[in-house]
Amino acid sequence: MTRLLRAGLAPEGGPLAVAAEGPGGLRLLALDLDAQALGLRPGEPLGRVRARIAVPLRVYPADPAADRDALLRLCRWACRYAPHVAPFGPAEASDGLYIDVAGASHLCGGEVSLVDDLADRLARANIPARVALADTPGGAFALARHGSADRIVVPPGGAAGALRGLPVEALRLDPGTVTGLKRLGLRRIGALDALPRGPLARRFGAALLLRLDQALARRPEPLAPLTEAADYAAARGFLDPIGRQSDIVRTARDLMAALAPRLERDGLGACALRLALHRVDGAVRALDLGLSRPERDPERVAVLVSLRLDRLGRALDAGFGFETVELTVTVTGAMPARQTDLGAGSTGDGVGFLADALAQRLGRALLRLEPRASHLPERGERGVLWVAGEGHGSSADQGIGRVRARLPPPSAGEGGTRREAGEGSDVSGSGVTLMTAGAPSCTVAPLSPPAAQGTLPRAGAREMPGSDSSLASPWPDHLPPRPLVLFPRGEAALDVLSTVPEGPPRRFRWRAQIHRVAHAEGPERIESEWWREPGEPRDYYRVECEAGHRLWLYRDGPHAPGHPAAWYVHGLFA
Amino acid sequence: MGLDPADETEPGPARGDPRARLDALRAQLAPPMDDRTPRPVLPLGLAELDAHLPGGGLALGPPHEIAPAGSADMIAALGFALALCACHLSRVSGEALIAAAPGQPLPYGHGVAGLGLDPGRLLLLEAGSDGEVFRALEAALQARALAALIGLVRDGLPLKPGRRLQLAAEGADPPLLLLLRPAEAGMPNGAATRWRIGAAPASRDRFGTLDRPRWRARLERCRNGRGGDWLLEWDHAAHRLHLLEPLAGDAAASGRSRA
Repeated sequence: MTRLLRAGLAPEGGPLAVAAEGPGGLRLLALDLDAQALGLRPGEPLGRVRARIAVPLRVYPADPAADRDALLRLCRWACRYAPHVAPFGPAEASDGLYIDVAGASHLCGGEVSLVDDLADRLARANIPARVALADTPGGAFALARHGSADRIVVPPGGAAGALRGLPVEALRLDPGTVTGLKRLGLRRIGALDALPRGPLARRFGAALLLRLDQALARRPEPLAPLTEAADYAAARGFLDPIGRQSDIVRTARDLMAALAPRLERDGLGACALRLALHRVDGAVRALDLGLSRPERDPERVAVLVSLRLDRLGRALDAGFGFETVELTVTVTGAMPARQTDLGAGSTGDGVGFLADALAQRLGRALLRLEPRASHLPERGERGVLWVAGEGHGSSADQGIGRVRARLPPPSAGEGGTRREAGEGSDVSGSGVTLMTAGAPSCTVAPLSPPAAQGTLPRAGAREMPGSDSSLASPWPDHLPPRPLVLFPRGEAALDVLSTVPEGPPRRFRWRAQIHRVAHAEGPERIESEWWREPGEPRDYYRVECEAGHRLWLYRDGPHAPGHPAAWYVHGLFA
Repeated sequence: MGLDPADETEPGPARGDPRARLDALRAQLAPPMDDRTPRPVLPLGLAELDAHLPGGGLALGPPHEIAPAGSADMIAALGFALALCACHLSRVSGEALIAAAPGQPLPYGHGVAGLGLDPGRLLLLEAGSDGEVFRALEAALQARALAALIGLVRDGLPLKPGRRLQLAAEGADPPLLLLLRPAEAGMPNGAATRWRIGAAPASRDRFGTLDRPRWRARLERCRNGRGGDWLLEWDHAAHRLHLLEPLAGDAAASGRSRA
């Protein structure tokens, strides 16, 4: 908080404070050293503080959004140490960050020198920070917040001993639990750990034991890293910033060409790409390109980038130019080598490329109609995204279109995987490779077409779970005639005249026109889906007007004497 | 023929046959722009209709405009377009794309299946404007990956996009391209044919229930062809159109008398 003000918004010297609305008026949130020297503590009401101290106190309003931005900037900076950096969440008061230095500390010459380097750089940047490195995020957090020194490095396996003497607040518990524990005389983590677990869980809930286990490396704790470390990424810097579209496209092609051999070696293709354009003034424009099927052809990627830039046009503000262009494969999919025919390429390929081109050029996706197992007409179908290798006509081929989430790379470190947190408190952990599991990994699961509606699987025709059902049409063919165009909801037909009260209408008004019915067929009764929402059964009629138009009308609910039911037009026939 | 001395040396068997001489003359006089190989067409299977269309069917590649006869006939026009599309898809493999401007009716899958067209072979694109529809169709024409394209536009086909579509359709193996536009706005553009479709009372089966849809089709404009009026019936099982009779007067009346 104060760090934000140090960035030049507040004058040097003098007691400073940040205050925010709390219980009973404004309360102090953060203080600088001068203010702390005056005996002020965070949480005190501002009015009482002002009355107590004789020195004028400069108070600034808290700005959580700006704080968050500053923290994220710091996180991005900290990516220089290791790719996995996670900012503190609300449970940690959002004023610090974790760095997972597993397998990365040797780049700085060991863990001790890494911590020294980090702390020195932060101090030079005028950011007061406490750094701790331990086996687990929880342990590192506790040491950074409540440890005895500003720089602490716990050797692997030493977390339990290092944490024993720390107060229970260090476990990231909610305040109610902390007061409860203190009332019982449990002030240290060591005392807590010595107690039997059952009564503790009964008294304080599972959260206490979870936090304790996380700190002591008995249970893994996934972090939500700011950016996924990409397995496949390439970047190019320019001495002279580039700004022309053709230059960007050519750079993207070159970068993809650099990535393609690595993807090919692993039998993978890119399903989603991110092109990050770093402007001279520090702003970053990220363009996300989604692909309908795994791809590693640089030319195609270049075409897609070009189409996207076409669509952006002036919205891509090049400013004084881009100095770094970075291409990252964010999602990969299996792309086994396959033999292609001479001459005629498969049509699915062309459709896939068309789908990608439309997605980049217009920002719109190709949809495919898919039946749903529902008798209600408006729920009987839905549009799903077109995915290569599914549906009819397109060539369904081997495993393409099946996308897997990026798996974490096998950690290069020899079991000494460790995490570290920096700034304010920092931490780290050991042997936890679960990070991607907790991260919002983009899994594009293949949309499995539903089973044929209302039909039992024929004997012996059981589908394999992974097989493409593109061989048989899943559209039911036993339905009574359905209209060519269906309205999302029925449009009211007014002034309905019928010859018999429970029969079809003879005449009605719809869309400001009188329609005379020449022929009517029905009713076809469709019950409402009572398990979703209650509704009346509908009686559908196909009617043909004298002009030759064919409509699909329904009466909402059965006819009851003295209580005429409403009529709706739900669709039109060809 | 005798103007060029080179002609005198040509082998003689065709010389006596006036028809062969005429063909040779036509081939010589044909404009160089026009490729000699006939354009691929989609024959409608009706001799009366195909005789009106150059090449014996709907030319594949250049756009064909389909407009409803009245504002209430939009669904009939859509049905006619999907019927042509089903006709074409029953001959070739591949998929069809429907690109629709906002507010245009999108087909309902079960209804499409009822017309004899497999909904699994349809791709939908909900475009944001007419311009986006044209751009999508152009991209699809250039990609050559789809068998049929249908564009549903709000304001009709202006000259410039029409010309662009025509150019994009040049080359081998073009798809069928249909454009549905509203009833108004009939400015000249690059369309090869212009149809106007109205609903007509459907045929009845032997139990007296509604059976096959019928449409009043008018070929308003046809490049290198003649216009005409027909009452058409769509057979969704056989994927073909049937001709009832050339219209002599009121289409609805003649359709009803027949029904």
